[in-house]
Amino acid sequence: MRILIVEDDPDLSRQLSEALKDQGYAVDVAADGEEGHFLGDTEPYDAVVLDLGLPLIDGVSVLQKWRSDGKTFPVIILTARDQWSEKVSGFDAGADDYLTKPFHTEELLARLRALVRRAAGHSTDTIEVGDLLVDNRAARAFVDGSPIKLTSHEFRLISYLAMHKGRVISRTELVEHIYDQDFDRDSNTIEVFVGRLRRKIGTDRIETVRGLGYRLVNPAETKAK
Amino acid sequence: MKRSAVSQSLVMRLVRSATLWALPILIFTAVALTWFYRSSTYRIFDDPMVSAVTSLIAAANVPASGDLSQLNLDREPTDPRYLQALSGRYWLIGTLANDGTVSSVKTSRSLYGETFKLNPRYAAQLRQNRGEEIAVSSTGPDGEPLRVIARLVTLPNAAQPVVIMAAIDSRPASQAVRRFAFLASTLMVLLSAGLVTAVFTQVRLGLKPLFELRDTVADVREGRTTRVDGQYPPEIQPLATELNFLIDHNRDVVERARTHVGNLAHALKTPLAVLVNESESRKSGRDAEFSNIVERQTTAMRSQVDHHLRRARAAARGQAIGVSTDVEPVLSALARTLPRIFRSKDIDLTATIMPALAFRGEKQDLEEMAGNLMDNACKWTRSRVKVTAVPNPDDETSFIITVEDDGPGLDAADYATALKRGARLDEATPGTGFGLAIVDDLARAYKGSVKLSRSDLGGLCVTLILPMITARSQSIT
Repeated sequence: MRILIVEDDPDLSRQLSEALKDQGYAVDVAADGEEGHFLGDTEPYDAVVLDLGLPLIDGVSVLQKWRSDGKTFPVIILTARDQWSEKVSGFDAGADDYLTKPFHTEELLARLRALVRRAAGHSTDTIEVGDLLVDNRAARAFVDGSPIKLTSHEFRLISYLAMHKGRVISRTELVEHIYDQDFDRDSNTIEVFVGRLRRKIGTDRIETVRGLGYRLVNPAETKAK
Repeated sequence: MKRSAVSQSLVMRLVRSATLWALPILIFTAVALTWFYRSSTYRIFDDPMVSAVTSLIAAANVPASGDLSQLNLDREPTDPRYLQALSGRYWLIGTLANDGTVSSVKTSRSLYGETFKLNPRYAAQLRQNRGEEIAVSSTGPDGEPLRVIARLVTLPNAAQPVVIMAAIDSRPASQAVRRFAFLASTLMVLLSAGLVTAVFTQVRLGLKPLFELRDTVADVREGRTTRVDGQYPPEIQPLATELNFLIDHNRDVVERARTHVGNLAHALKTPLAVLVNESESRKSGRDAEFSNIVERQTTAMRSQVDHHLRRARAAARGQAIGVSTDVEPVLSALARTLPRIFRSKDIDLTATIMPALAFRGEKQDLEEMAGNLMDNACKWTRSRVKVTAVPNPDDETSFIITVEDDGPGLDAADYATALKRGARLDEATPGTGFGLAIVDDLARAYKGSVKLSRSDLGGLCVTLILPMITARSQSIT
């Protein structure tokens, strides 16, 4: 899962990005409305954390631009003003949730998780694929009840595949959603990660669809066919 | 208070001063006219009597003996009324005693042997002006008022002067004068009434732009309009321009104060968020104690910021002249936003809002009140929330917002507690805990009210009554 944070306060921005990385997200950061708008317009984020009081272009305008350009990623807005008009204009511009400053990071993480899974059509933070269980809340995965030791990149990969289980995910899409923009992208590294992941959770759980990409499947069902 | 207000009215002042100079002139005119009419009437009236006296003097012969009782007349005045008894026309020749008594020597037949008395004052006057005619009044034999022309003369051969008088019933003349006086006064009263009406109309017409300005200023005050628009005469146009400047300035000042408050909030809350997050991330491990202190202090700072923001907003409240807020857009915006905020609950929110309702107050305050009520209802509801806004049927200066839900509601015993600041009836549902109290405070500030009851839906029904902008009532000058 890849998240964009648009926040002009460097301390808050750093804290949020650290907290999100700890949760297994790939995080990009923008410090003003212009940069934020550009990133949101060009990169395929799974969710955006958007401050309303931004330099250059204010948050509501950035959001309106994204929505009129057809961007559908969930957006949670951060606002220092706890007035109803601010909430109304935020939601009218296309926000999916809001949080009033100051807030607890836990609160933001919970809301963000809810937005991401709702966008993918899941109703809980844990996703089961056969006896594989991905817990997005704790950023951990279990096979048959026993925890699997995963690096953060490995978790991002399994989490994204689980969120879109049953669908074939291309390598490009995986690259775009598990690496932040500063990462030296090389689609070969995806193959390396998939290989490592297969060794940890079982080879037959990740299916390779030649020329298209990968798919997370329940091996019990595949065998039955 | 009321009296001085009336006497201060420009219209009244102008009408009063016009009346003050017009009334004496009119009264004087009526009196003068009557006086002129009266003297000319009596001049005509006296004429036959003067000639009767003259002809009596000419006709009177006193014998050489000087005995007045032997006086005879060559011929008597010809008017037949002198012969008819008590006809109202008399003549008399007699001697005048010192006390004014007249002893008649010869009289007209009409007098029937009677005489008429002369006021001693007239007797003296006669003696002083011997030989001259004077007009006096007296009473006739029938008790009728008489106008008398008398002359004191000494006839040839006579030893003492005789008084020669001709009299006529004065009632027809005085009646004519009275009729004229009545007519003149009536005309003057009508004239003054017409004059006052004309002055009143003229003043009203002349001051009309001033009244329009006054009504427009009232409209601005009541929030029916935002500026003093329209063309005014050059005398008061500067006043209108200056008023517009003041209104703009006032809005500007209030708006700036509010923006400052918002900026302060923004400026403080982001650093607070940073501190809260930082302390949270260090909760476990060596910095636990430090983290606790930071958390306690940031909580205190946050409540201080909130407290002072509320106070600053309250201070700015009601300062702007003539603010008006359309109810429908505010409630509609909240009605479409709240289900999105409570997306996880799948809330069925219906809002029935009467169009063209206008709240007499700040938009932000209406949002705060309605927003808190609807937020509260959404927190507690199972699925249905009903919002209505209608004019108050019992009071044409206010309107009613009701917010109902189908949640658990409150016991009637808890209603008073729920509106009290700091009260939090259930810790389970997140919130500041005094949402209803804030609404109550705000409503009171606008002289409105909040009432809690049980809704037909099963949950709580909150009835909020707030002042409304009403159409301009007909003004009286």
